[in-house]
Amino acid sequence: MSIFKRIDDLSSSPRIRKGWFSAALIIFLTLIIIPAVFVLLEAVIEWESVSEVLGDPTMTGMIWGAVSNSFSIALIVTILDIVVGLPMAWILVRRSFRGKRYLDTLIDMPLAFPTAAVGISVVMFWGAPEGVAIPGLGLVMSPYLIVILLHTVFTFPYMVRSLAGILDQIDPSFETAGMTLGASRLTAVRTITLPLFRAGLVTGFILCFARSLSETGGTYIALQMLGVSSSFFTGPTFIKYMKDLPGADPTGALIVVSVIMIVLAVALLLVAKYMMNRLRLPWTKVWPVWERRLSKGLAARSKDILTFVFLFVIVILPSFYIFAYLTAPSGVADLNSLFGAIGISFAIAGIAVVFNIVFGIPMAIYIARNGNTRLGVLLDNLVNIPLIIPTTVLGLSLSMFWGSFNLPAGAAFFLVTLGHISFTYPLVVRNITGAISEVDPSYEEVARTLGAKPFRAFSKVLLPIVQSSVIAGAILAFTRSLGETGATISISKDVVTVPVYIMDLIEQGQYYQGAVAAMILIVICFILMFGVRYLTGRRKQGA
Amino acid sequence: MPEIRLENISKMFGDTVGANGLTLDIADGEYLCILGPTGAGKTTCMRIICGLTSPDEGRIYFDGKDVTDMPVDEREATMLTQSYSLFPRVNVEDNVLFGPRLKGWDEESCQQLVRNMLGMTHMEGRGSRLPNELSGGQQQRVALARALASGSKVLLLDEPLRALDARLRLELRKELKSLAKSMGLTSIHVTHDQDEALEMADRIAVIRDGRFVQIGAPQEVFENPATPFVANFVGRSNIFEGTLVYAGNGTSRISAGEGITVLARDPGYEPGTKVLVAVKIGNTKISHVKAEKPPEPEAKRIEPIQKIPKPKPVLDFSFRGRIDRILYEGATITVEIDVPGLGLISSKLPNRKYDDYDVGEEVEVTWSPSKASVFPYPENGIKDELRLD
Repeated sequence: MSIFKRIDDLSSSPRIRKGWFSAALIIFLTLIIIPAVFVLLEAVIEWESVSEVLGDPTMTGMIWGAVSNSFSIALIVTILDIVVGLPMAWILVRRSFRGKRYLDTLIDMPLAFPTAAVGISVVMFWGAPEGVAIPGLGLVMSPYLIVILLHTVFTFPYMVRSLAGILDQIDPSFETAGMTLGASRLTAVRTITLPLFRAGLVTGFILCFARSLSETGGTYIALQMLGVSSSFFTGPTFIKYMKDLPGADPTGALIVVSVIMIVLAVALLLVAKYMMNRLRLPWTKVWPVWERRLSKGLAARSKDILTFVFLFVIVILPSFYIFAYLTAPSGVADLNSLFGAIGISFAIAGIAVVFNIVFGIPMAIYIARNGNTRLGVLLDNLVNIPLIIPTTVLGLSLSMFWGSFNLPAGAAFFLVTLGHISFTYPLVVRNITGAISEVDPSYEEVARTLGAKPFRAFSKVLLPIVQSSVIAGAILAFTRSLGETGATISISKDVVTVPVYIMDLIEQGQYYQGAVAAMILIVICFILMFGVRYLTGRRKQGA
Repeated sequence: MPEIRLENISKMFGDTVGANGLTLDIADGEYLCILGPTGAGKTTCMRIICGLTSPDEGRIYFDGKDVTDMPVDEREATMLTQSYSLFPRVNVEDNVLFGPRLKGWDEESCQQLVRNMLGMTHMEGRGSRLPNELSGGQQQRVALARALASGSKVLLLDEPLRALDARLRLELRKELKSLAKSMGLTSIHVTHDQDEALEMADRIAVIRDGRFVQIGAPQEVFENPATPFVANFVGRSNIFEGTLVYAGNGTSRISAGEGITVLARDPGYEPGTKVLVAVKIGNTKISHVKAEKPPEPEAKRIEPIQKIPKPKPVLDFSFRGRIDRILYEGATITVEIDVPGLGLISSKLPNRKYDDYDVGEEVEVTWSPSKASVFPYPENGIKDELRLD
């Protein structure tokens, strides 16, 4: 009896099926959710050191500074993304022109860039940091501004994608109808189409905000290159700074900053979800003359031009600028340690992705098929939590959770892998849930009435239909894991993944080595990213 | 070849009633239609039969064997859905062979089977097509071939013709039934389309609020509705209330207000009972008002199925109304007559009568008493009884 057949027979027992789902649920709760928010409990356990920190005005000042930097930067970046992302989405969805496909790909490119690499690239482009051989624009900017520019690079694609996704589903005939009734284009768009955008705006908002809030590696590298990494902080870089600080026990401060970040991030998610249902854009007032004037001619054209200028000057050029290092007089790259780091990165990302697919699929099936039950809704929301908690905080929380179990010293690799499992879980499960909920359940039901046991019905009917989404989700999670810095360093200093390796090199001032490692990482991520595009593109045609 | 028996099946979905005491016997090889409005529990009933939903109460038997707790995959009852659910990106042949391959048939037998099945469903030579390259009718035939190839003996059809265009739908009615019949399948066909059910079914089970309100041959359900709801849902009826004045000799006299008295079947109630009268609009006759001559009694054709004794020729009546609208429907026309005290009464006539009547004209309305059913007045009122939700 083959193992396949055995699974098949087992699957026909409702008790086994329930058990399998329960196992997936328990794994989700114990390995992913609870460790991610354990720091909230730790705040109670370690109340003494927490209250000590709260009583120390210099400390609380630093913490507030870091947290408010994080949130205000995330907010500014997100608003910037919305303002420029809207016309960009419009161009992508509603216009047709030659080379649109390339523009489409170009916008996604920064998603493939590990943030550590973007960090180097953006600072090189705008500033002229000491020790970098390649000349940039040489502007002297405040670290606050540089971090905003940096975060805009890797959040912009998320916003454009979310908005374009919704716009694609909005029937342009609404606008046309409005225009035949006498509205100018701007009036029609503003009063008719824009209010339909809510869902896309909120999704884009959450994605960009969470990504900016969470970012550690690139931000730290940028601050390091500007030489301000011990005076200017965001939430995540503050955690890194405190962990590296020799001498004092940082536990209290770490807990305080983590709790604040988690609470604010979750509150933000709830507000955003609430807004999704409630937000109205009640601008029914019209200014026909002005809006008509703005709808055509110079005003309309300059809007498009400015959008493109923003895309190239703020997003594309700075992220590619690191390749200018190819022209630099070559030093000797230490490929051995680089490939060692790549090996570790691949191992962690690979294990995390496989784990998430195996244990995420039952969860995805449950959420997709029980979206209207109370448990279904609850799980649907819980799955988002690792997505919005800054990964550095998540890693810290996770290491505190497992630290209380007295694991042997060699467990660091295992813990880092768990951390990566945690923050990539939503990416995998979201993707698969989305795909499954679009599949008519009657396929599986018919397969069952044709004599297939549940596992066969799944593996022979449902899986082939959603497989491209499974693979797409997996590759997304894989690249995200490859590029992650914050979670890794907050769990252990001994597990050197590629971004950590790059960060170490930058800290030591070895910019050339760092740039080479970053470029290699970018190329690897590119190849994976194009894999996703190929697969998802094929799915669209096949449907 | 199974005979199916449902015994007192009940199922609740939260507060919603899915099935409320369904009891039904389906003969081996029978083609049964479950007919009812949306939300009546048609699909629930079917899903319970094939095992996709398990009932809260009651038992299901296939050939006398209790299958209530048997898993879906062992029941050999295949579902044919509205969208046919042909597995996407898998060609026709692999779709048809889904069942046999699960059973581990060797490739040679599979090929032979697929040839047979595609031949039987007139899909020869299309084995390598993909589902999205087929027309709706072809998809349906493949789904049928797939069901047959799996060795199922019970075919459950969930609105199988709904997604097709009107013309094709009519053609496929015959084809679908004759295929099912020639394979000796016991078929249960769920639909909300009364014409479809009347034409296709050996028997019709009319379902409402999770209950069968009437089970019988199409003619019986049409001519002898068990409730006002059935009278109105299966073929439109004129329905109005009245008081029973006299009953006997196979007919009854009912006062319907404002001096209108109509004749109907004898329901066997006491005089004075409040009743509902239902007459199919096709059985409602109209004629021009002729000052002297009363309308001719109508007794030419009485269906042989009627067990009610033929009425005596004394039984004629008519009342007057004014034509409000005439709707042209192709082969037929429907004349709507405004009758003071009764409201709108409709009469369905062949279209050659279209030029005979004009809006505003006063006409005589009558029907053969044996065609008019009488029901006790429903407890929850007439609106609730006729509601289609």
